[in-house]
Amino acid sequence: MASILAVDDSASMRKMVTFTLKGAGYEVEEAVDGVDALAKAQAKRFDCIVTDVNMPNKDGITLIRELRSLPDYKYIPMLMLTTESSAEKKQAGKAAGATGWIVKPFDPDQLLKTLNKVLG
Amino acid sequence: MIKKIKIERPSIIGFEHVNRYWDREREIIAAKILPGEYYVTREDEVVTTVLGSCVSACIRDRESGIGGMNHFMLPQTSTGKSSDEIVGIATRYGNFAMEHLINTILSNGGKRKNLEVKVFGGGKIIPTLTDVGIKNITFVLDYLVQEGLKPLAQDLGDIYPRKVVYYPKTGKVNMKKIQDLHNDTIIQRERQYINNLKAVPVAGDVELF
Repeated sequence: MASILAVDDSASMRKMVTFTLKGAGYEVEEAVDGVDALAKAQAKRFDCIVTDVNMPNKDGITLIRELRSLPDYKYIPMLMLTTESSAEKKQAGKAAGATGWIVKPFDPDQLLKTLNKVLG
Repeated sequence: MIKKIKIERPSIIGFEHVNRYWDREREIIAAKILPGEYYVTREDEVVTTVLGSCVSACIRDRESGIGGMNHFMLPQTSTGKSSDEIVGIATRYGNFAMEHLINTILSNGGKRKNLEVKVFGGGKIIPTLTDVGIKNITFVLDYLVQEGLKPLAQDLGDIYPRKVVYYPKTGKVNMKKIQDLHNDTIIQRERQYINNLKAVPVAGDVELF
């Protein structure tokens, strides 16, 4: 089963995402911000990244831009899962190399369906 | 003569719909939020609301003074699945209400490590109803523990509605318990909010690029 790196600075959000993904059989690791995520993604190659946008130390859009420049992550699906819904932010995410944009509130079924599509 | 005060647009985009007015008693602009709304500001203004069984979190960055308030309750729905507690509709909705407030503060320059939190509400204002207030209280306190945020002040439960006036700039709160419900506006508003909650799916949009 695919391995996923779930990145969010909110502990309760990480808990919900991890619970949902593990329940569907995915292997999940958590990171608390972009710096933590980049270190974890370099230590191990994940099949997909699910990340928040606003985080301390390194935000989700910068994280995706930096990951995309690494050979291992050039073609890996990366999803933003965020409260941000503005067209400008979405455009910045797309430009950074995000595969898709999911606006919260978080819905487990929606996340799993989207993952199925991008990992399919 | 009545002094004319010009109310400028909110300091943060996205809150244009919130009712703001000049509070003559406090001599400050007040933003009044209704059930399901929230408001965040950079300016020296107050955020006010009246709570029945709903809860409000007042959160600010204690260094920069950016902060605001939400006003919500959990939808009274359950699928009966064991996963409800972690990813059920109620938890996800509450999580969203808290996160929206916190993220708006953070995306406007607030820092997570500087967050100062006060929580109010969850009164059992109607003796005949099941205690929905307690569910809201339990949720908000659990959420804060999970996020590592310790409330600096709280006034929760009991049987009274509360009027809360929050000064994000200083963190000060004026809270008054309403002893006499002369009209049932609070109850009506909460009922309407509960009914709306039932109809709205707890999920956002997905866009694949």
